[in-house]
Amino acid sequence: MSLENLTQDWSRYRNGIEEGGFHNYEHRWGMAIDLNACIGCNACSTACYAENNLAVVGKERFSKGHYMHWMRIERYWDEDQAKAEFPDQGANFLPMLCQQCGAAPCEPVCPVAATYHTPDGLNAQVYNRCIGSRYCSNNCPYRVRYFNFWSYPESAWPAPLNLQLNPDITVRDKGVMEKCTFCVQRIRVAKDTAKMENRKIKDGEFTTACAQACPTSAIHFGDLMDAESAVTKLWAKHQVKRHDDEGLPVSTQHKQNPALRGYRVLEELNTDPSVMYLERVREELA
Amino acid sequence: MKKTRRILGLFGNFDEATNAIYDIRASKIAGLSVDDVTLISPIEHPDVEEALGDRPVSVQYFTFCGGLFGLVGSWLWIASAQASFLVQPQGGKPVVTLVSNFVLSYEMMILGGVLSTLIGLLIGARLPSRPHTLYSEKVSLDQIGIILELEDTQIESAKNLFRNHRVLEIREEVMK
Amino acid sequence: MKETELHHDKDIREDLAWSQINSDIMKSLENPRRGFWYTVIGCLVLLAIGITAEVLQYMYGMGRSKNHPHMWNLYIATFIFWIGMSHSGTLLSAILHIVHADWRKPIYRFAEAMTTFSLMTALLFPVIHLGRLWNFYWVIPYVPARGTWPNFRSPLSWDGFAIMTYLTSSALFLYIGMLPDLAIARDNTTGWRKKLYSTLSLGWYGSDRQWRIFRKAYMLMAIFLIPLAVSVHSIVSSDFAMSIMPGWHVTTFPPYFVSGALYSGCAAIVTLFILLRYYFRWEEYMTLAILEKICKLTFAIAMVWTYLNLVEFASVWYGHDIYGKEVLWAKMTGAYAPVFWSMMFFGSVLPFTLAFRKLRRHIPTMMTVSILLNVGMWLERWMIISPTLSQSFYPWSWDVMWPTLTSWGIVLGSFGWFGLLFLTFVKIFPSVSMYEVKEMVYHRRLASEKAQAERRNTGGAQPAFSLSMRKEDGS
Repeated sequence: MSLENLTQDWSRYRNGIEEGGFHNYEHRWGMAIDLNACIGCNACSTACYAENNLAVVGKERFSKGHYMHWMRIERYWDEDQAKAEFPDQGANFLPMLCQQCGAAPCEPVCPVAATYHTPDGLNAQVYNRCIGSRYCSNNCPYRVRYFNFWSYPESAWPAPLNLQLNPDITVRDKGVMEKCTFCVQRIRVAKDTAKMENRKIKDGEFTTACAQACPTSAIHFGDLMDAESAVTKLWAKHQVKRHDDEGLPVSTQHKQNPALRGYRVLEELNTDPSVMYLERVREELA
Repeated sequence: MKKTRRILGLFGNFDEATNAIYDIRASKIAGLSVDDVTLISPIEHPDVEEALGDRPVSVQYFTFCGGLFGLVGSWLWIASAQASFLVQPQGGKPVVTLVSNFVLSYEMMILGGVLSTLIGLLIGARLPSRPHTLYSEKVSLDQIGIILELEDTQIESAKNLFRNHRVLEIREEVMK
Repeated sequence: MKETELHHDKDIREDLAWSQINSDIMKSLENPRRGFWYTVIGCLVLLAIGITAEVLQYMYGMGRSKNHPHMWNLYIATFIFWIGMSHSGTLLSAILHIVHADWRKPIYRFAEAMTTFSLMTALLFPVIHLGRLWNFYWVIPYVPARGTWPNFRSPLSWDGFAIMTYLTSSALFLYIGMLPDLAIARDNTTGWRKKLYSTLSLGWYGSDRQWRIFRKAYMLMAIFLIPLAVSVHSIVSSDFAMSIMPGWHVTTFPPYFVSGALYSGCAAIVTLFILLRYYFRWEEYMTLAILEKICKLTFAIAMVWTYLNLVEFASVWYGHDIYGKEVLWAKMTGAYAPVFWSMMFFGSVLPFTLAFRKLRRHIPTMMTVSILLNVGMWLERWMIISPTLSQSFYPWSWDVMWPTLTSWGIVLGSFGWFGLLFLTFVKIFPSVSMYEVKEMVYHRRLASEKAQAERRNTGGAQPAFSLSMRKEDGS
């Protein structure tokens, strides 16, 4: 709220018009998830619960749809598999978390600006600002935003379990929306350390809880602005492009080449997700 | 001469009241013009007002200014709020969003217009105030009143004029 | 009843004395029929249920009424319902005022009150549905200490602007239109009422200066209210149309919402018309001829609504957006299909009863039909919200949810709240415009006297003059 802010934001706005949006990121944290490697073990989800103080809601509330899993493993079956002898076999797993969209549908609809885009390319969710209108969740095509329908602290972490809470982040109370942050507390620590040591963040210096816990290393995490990071190379290898990446159109992958397995979920909605999935290669059912 | 008296004549229907006003217009009473006449009536009645002649109404200027202020003022207000608010770049969209700001300015234009119309009404109609000292409750029922501001010498001729038009009741008071 | 049948072709009897108009209307402040008090008790019970449900939800959390994909569900549906209901009163009153349709005069006051109070009911829902409703004022764009503003880009904050503007404007429109009547009430009451009306009437005494300015100001407000009312419901529809969800992201939503709003509002006017006519014995003022006119209007709007509904389905169907098509198909055949088809029946088939003169003039039928039409419109709002939430882009989150007891309780409570506000209003304020009914009676008497004189002069029935007389009748 000062003249300085005003002029700064104005120039940013002018730039935004020229570039078709606000894009001058410092980092653009991104992921690549290799579905070939995913075995559906739920280790990522468990790690996320431990790292991010996610409430364990119990069976009854879970079945009512009051779950809080920021990272979830979805299972899908092909239609002919359902008729097979052992229908449970051969599920396709899809770890689903907040896609940290570059053009996120959840952001502009929040009436109090509790969710916004950081210069790190993340969708930040400001718990203290959130009033719980839940519009963001309604407008999220991936349905990865979770709402605190109840007050969980007493039921989810009865003493002495409260001692296991991660002190780096808050415990959310009822009435606010929350979602995957790409372990923003780890990002903060890494950025601060790098700043103190007067260097840039190194690729692989830290990673998210899910990527760290994955036994098959299916989840790769890194900075997409860093040309040398493993994630950037994976994206380039599978020819998946970000919107702010030289302004290329969305779906530039050539699907004719079976080696190019990269895709982003619901890419046709133009949300510009930061998570790329690598399609699972399967043998043909005879 | 100074105007010292007020009289109210109550009439049973609009025709009589209108004719009385036309008589005043025709200067039947020396020194009394139609501008000294106030009509009070239970319903709005354009015919009688025609007899009274043109009396300017200025509420529309209030409305115009209020609407314009609402439109321009709110647009500037919202745009400057957006431009000075750091947490704004959202969903890959620009900071000052013209389209949505015009939606809001449109609403504010109407709000400004309506509020200033109200203010114009209150100022123009001299409200809130006390009802006229000669006000009769019969006016809110079914009678039409004519209030005249008179000099002492005009009283009798005014009363006679009212009586010629079958006045039902005459009240008078001394102006302070 | 016999009396009204005698004059059944006229909107109002021309020989009503002005003093009788005053006393008939002012009587409504004193002695309604007993049915009025039964309704008040009913509304109190509903409100108590609603408050209980809200207290439970406040204490334990939104989980009592919502789940993961169904983040909005019944509350926002009912919000749209009440906003919609608010549209007919002021909008119709304003339109009919600027085209000088004088049959509006006996009915516009309560219709505008309905607008104001249903807006006040609607305002509750966005607040109730908040997860942290104690922070609802963060949506208001005041200059805060933290240097943050609400997000002016969110259709929800447009809603805030639009509804506050509409509430202010329609309440002022109602109040300004009531000024001369408050003066009448001031002159005819004693005790606390006298004090109240003296204050509210602002010392109105009906001078020619006051009437001139009043006429102009009232007209200006009416002109503002017409685009305002249209914009308000378009903005409410933006909550959905501006999202990306299949079944919500539909271009025809703004006109569709506006027509639905007019529709439910007209049906509500019919309901309240019949109720007030009964409570206060107003057969002389709320005549069947006027009822017929509103019913015809309702029928016309019902057909517009049906048409826009079909256009929406057709454009989704032929648009070949697979997501939108799936949602539409799920509406028609999925878990919500019974609700969907009841909506179609109540909204598009039932209004055909309004096309028959016999039925239009049969009060019990019209009461039932008008309530059912509004049930249909309420179901429509639910069918806008829930199917999309239950089956959007992402198959993992597909889920059917039926409303819980808590949300039903709050919805019922809102009817009690509205009813209480409305009944209090009609008990305290004259809900038929006395001065305008006087005008109406006066003009019609003049017209018929003129027609009679003309007929006398020409010595008998002449087709040309009987035509002109019918024209003067305004039918």
